[in-house]
Amino acid sequence: MAYQLYRNTTLGNSLQESLDELIQITPQLALQVLLQFDKAINTALANRVRNRVNFKGSLNTYRFCDNVWTFVLNDVEFREVTDLVKVDKVKIVACDGKNTGNTAE
Amino acid sequence: DMEQNNSLPPFQGLASPQGALTPVMPMFSPMMPYGSGLTPQPVTNTNSLSLLEEQQRQQQQQQQQQASAQQSGMPGGSGQTPQLYHSQTVTTTTLPGNTPLYNTTPLTPMTPITPATPASESSGIVPQLQNIVSTVNLGCKLDLKTIALRARNAEYNPKRFAAVIMRIREPRTTALIFSSGKMVCTGAKSEEQSRLAARKYARVVQKLGFPAKFLDFKIQNMVGSCDVKFPIRLEGLVLTHQQFSSYEPELFPGLIYRMIKPRIVLLIFVSGKVVLTGAKVRGEIYEAFENIYPILKGFRKTT
Repeated sequence: MAYQLYRNTTLGNSLQESLDELIQITPQLALQVLLQFDKAINTALANRVRNRVNFKGSLNTYRFCDNVWTFVLNDVEFREVTDLVKVDKVKIVACDGKNTGNTAE
Repeated sequence: DMEQNNSLPPFQGLASPQGALTPVMPMFSPMMPYGSGLTPQPVTNTNSLSLLEEQQRQQQQQQQQQASAQQSGMPGGSGQTPQLYHSQTVTTTTLPGNTPLYNTTPLTPMTPITPATPASESSGIVPQLQNIVSTVNLGCKLDLKTIALRARNAEYNPKRFAAVIMRIREPRTTALIFSSGKMVCTGAKSEEQSRLAARKYARVVQKLGFPAKFLDFKIQNMVGSCDVKFPIRLEGLVLTHQQFSSYEPELFPGLIYRMIKPRIVLLIFVSGKVVLTGAKVRGEIYEAFENIYPILKGFRKTT
């Protein structure tokens, strides 16, 4: 089963809100939609994304539990060939790249 | 004027013949004990993991150490040197200038006589502490997953290692926290820093809701390093000290010297750098280095 990691993203949250609004849809069906979303987004990011972004900042905190890394960085610069984005604080949640079938959120 | 000299007020330190007009700091007071050993000890059996208490305790220890160093009458005198109280009246003509007669430091029972210096001087090099490993028992079972999920700067991978690895920035240290409640603290550069860091970790655990205590804190290992500033003939050293040394340059570039007294392991390198480890107290590191230094001097590379 694919990571449910991407449900708390702009795209994932929009989907969840839309499903909540559709009252005629059964909760079981809504769950199936989300599971399909999980599979789709995981394969899309793995196969259809080609660009590369570098980022550098200072580490505020880190955590590793249940094979999930959570970082909070400060004063980060995200660099792509084209442009640069600076942020004061960024939270990074990262799951293992090798498919271990973890369903933890 | 001579009248004044005859009736000296009691407990006036230097019986200065110039008269009582010379302001003299009372050097001899019966109220000040000569290192009676009755210095009050702070109560250490507190259950509080308050860092303020820990820092106060460390400051008090430093003050006591300084105070007892002064009272033991270090030659050369830091602080108050005990003086003999001369009770007899003195009738002498006043000396030109202001120098009081009784200025020399008489030998009192409290002034230690410095032993004759040994044939070789001390090295003049002090090994610097690089790492201290200590352990403490928090005295209660811990739920490591709760700690890993709620504390900051923690790692927990039970498949690989059955402890939470937590770090703090000040003092820069790493702790291994086990579900039994026992904890290892590594990375500190001094004994007090190690203890302070361990107390900080204990407080983190306590704030997460566990009834953490601070039992049986003990320094388990101390590592020091220094530089003798000359190259060393390791091959020569291993030949003459083969019962203590092991040197296999193809395996490891340093000579491993296992000193018996104190029981310290030294890593000695061609460059003259020395690493000392295995100490339970700081003095063992210093003693081991003072022992090895003359030996190393004997194997100094001359080319």
